[in-house]
Amino acid sequence: MLVAWRYRKRNSLVQWFDPRAWIIFYGCFLFSTLAFWDVRFLLPFFVIAWFWLLNSGLQWNEIRRPFLFIGTFVFFFAILTFLTGRGGQELYKQEHLIRQFAAPFTILGWRPTLDITVERAFFAVSQFVRVFSIAVMTILIPYSLNPALYGITFKGLGLPDKIAYAMDLTMRFIPTFGRDFQLTMDAQRARGYELEKISGGLIQQVRKLGPIIVPVTIHAIIGSEDIIDAMDLRAFGVGPRTWLEDLIYNRRDHILMAIGVIIVVLSITISLSGHGGFWVPDILIRWATGS
Amino acid sequence: MDKKLMSVLGALAVLLAIFAIVMFGLGTTEKLGPFNFTVDQATLPLRFAFVVIGILIAFAVYFFTKENKTWEVGTREVVYMAIGAALYAVFSYLFNGTVFVVPSLSQVSLRPAIAIPMFFGYAFGPVVGFFTGAVGNMFGDALTGFGLSPQWSIGNGLVGFISGMVFLFSDKKKSMDTVLYVSGALALVAAILFFLNRTQANMTFFDPANNIFGDSQISLLAGISILIGFVLILAVRFGFASNENIAAAVTWGMLGNILGLGFAAISDVWINGFSLTAAVVGEFLPAAGPNLIFAAILVPLLVGAYAAVQRQSGR
Repeated sequence: MLVAWRYRKRNSLVQWFDPRAWIIFYGCFLFSTLAFWDVRFLLPFFVIAWFWLLNSGLQWNEIRRPFLFIGTFVFFFAILTFLTGRGGQELYKQEHLIRQFAAPFTILGWRPTLDITVERAFFAVSQFVRVFSIAVMTILIPYSLNPALYGITFKGLGLPDKIAYAMDLTMRFIPTFGRDFQLTMDAQRARGYELEKISGGLIQQVRKLGPIIVPVTIHAIIGSEDIIDAMDLRAFGVGPRTWLEDLIYNRRDHILMAIGVIIVVLSITISLSGHGGFWVPDILIRWATGS
Repeated sequence: MDKKLMSVLGALAVLLAIFAIVMFGLGTTEKLGPFNFTVDQATLPLRFAFVVIGILIAFAVYFFTKENKTWEVGTREVVYMAIGAALYAVFSYLFNGTVFVVPSLSQVSLRPAIAIPMFFGYAFGPVVGFFTGAVGNMFGDALTGFGLSPQWSIGNGLVGFISGMVFLFSDKKKSMDTVLYVSGALALVAAILFFLNRTQANMTFFDPANNIFGDSQISLLAGISILIGFVLILAVRFGFASNENIAAAVTWGMLGNILGLGFAAISDVWINGFSLTAAVVGEFLPAAGPNLIFAAILVPLLVGAYAAVQRQSGR
């Protein structure tokens, strides 16, 4: 359950950079990774993601839960892709069989069969490397960005004051509403409400969600009046906004952003020139075909 | 010409230029690496004409109503944007099937969060509605950790935006009738497409336990849910005829849902290379249909509760 963003100040490489530079680098990393399916091109991104993670100053017990959750999920889907071949057929037309496992029984005349092919195996590996690299970098964001700097970061990325502040508030409200949801749910459970055991027809089921959705929403709106008053009393929106903390780019930030931009430009160029698509080693195909 | 209008025109010109480059430049070439920008050359002028028409319509809405107070963004709107987006993100995350496994009935999963952009759009205006839907969807996707779908975030933004457009009309009742005709016609066309393509896969339904990954045939309930939703909205519209707020909220929410998710689904024709049938029957219907059912039930509850808060606080 969401309770609070897990940020704390750490003496680490990741937090050494300006948050704007880190976000821009993350954006470049994301677009670059998505440009490839070739595991040879994806491996450098996998290495960058691990380097970034190991230099984030995070302890294993801090990220164990999200890391295991995302890791297991990505691994599970990669295995499913490998077993079923789903998802990869758009990227390869022909499959080279390595081995076929057939069940010793039939079900209504159908014999369950598992085909292990070179393409399926490599697509699963490529998918795992691709998604896991992105997931590792994404997990780091809430741990390494200071919530007090959300607003100024978005402003620094070019958003108008009001929208930057709304983004800032959104990120601050998410853990609060997560907690409110849990409290409301506990209160309703004490009255015999069980979300996990909603029964009845479709309309009945939707109606039964009201005791959770309505109190959380209305409580949030009522609570907002104090925030609106406090902002009005400080003349919010009357003139250009000043921020409590200023962000100043250092040389290292420019270097990080330059690296990000170089990576994304290179990736797009390589990709547009027809490289980086799904790849399987020829040696494996030859081995599978016995030639 | 005033500065604000110039900046809006500039933004629209940039958008149009991007479309022109993609459609006339990259669209005429073969596949470029992993990117497929190819556009059917026979219908290219027609497609570009629709882009121009769409942008002109959006601009016309703003131009003819730019003096309307609805477009103003003050402290209250900034806070409501943040609250709406955060609530939408939290509810989307909690009800996405990984945190609370709520049952799905014949391929119709419970996604009650969609009531949030509809309600915030209606209660606090189109700008708040758009931010709630677009940013909330983005954060909701990000919370689950599996990346973003920008066109669906914009589609969700449009749900809130259109829900709030009711403020642009002086006569709410008249606007509701028009919205009902338009929505009814669109729902009917989508349902006819479903009956003509019964074998189409429901691409929004995933059930890993049963080895289903968006490839099972769309169920009858998912296919006709848009008609069920429309009938429910109609019942709310006339059942609450004396309460104009509830009737208007669900009616405009319905149009927002149909046009917003329709935009997102149809964009997949170009983005993911789906056929129009796959986009409408396989994606739009199972997403937008159940949403109408949630709108018909949850939005009135929220509007009623908010009216009580307004009476109590006097704001």
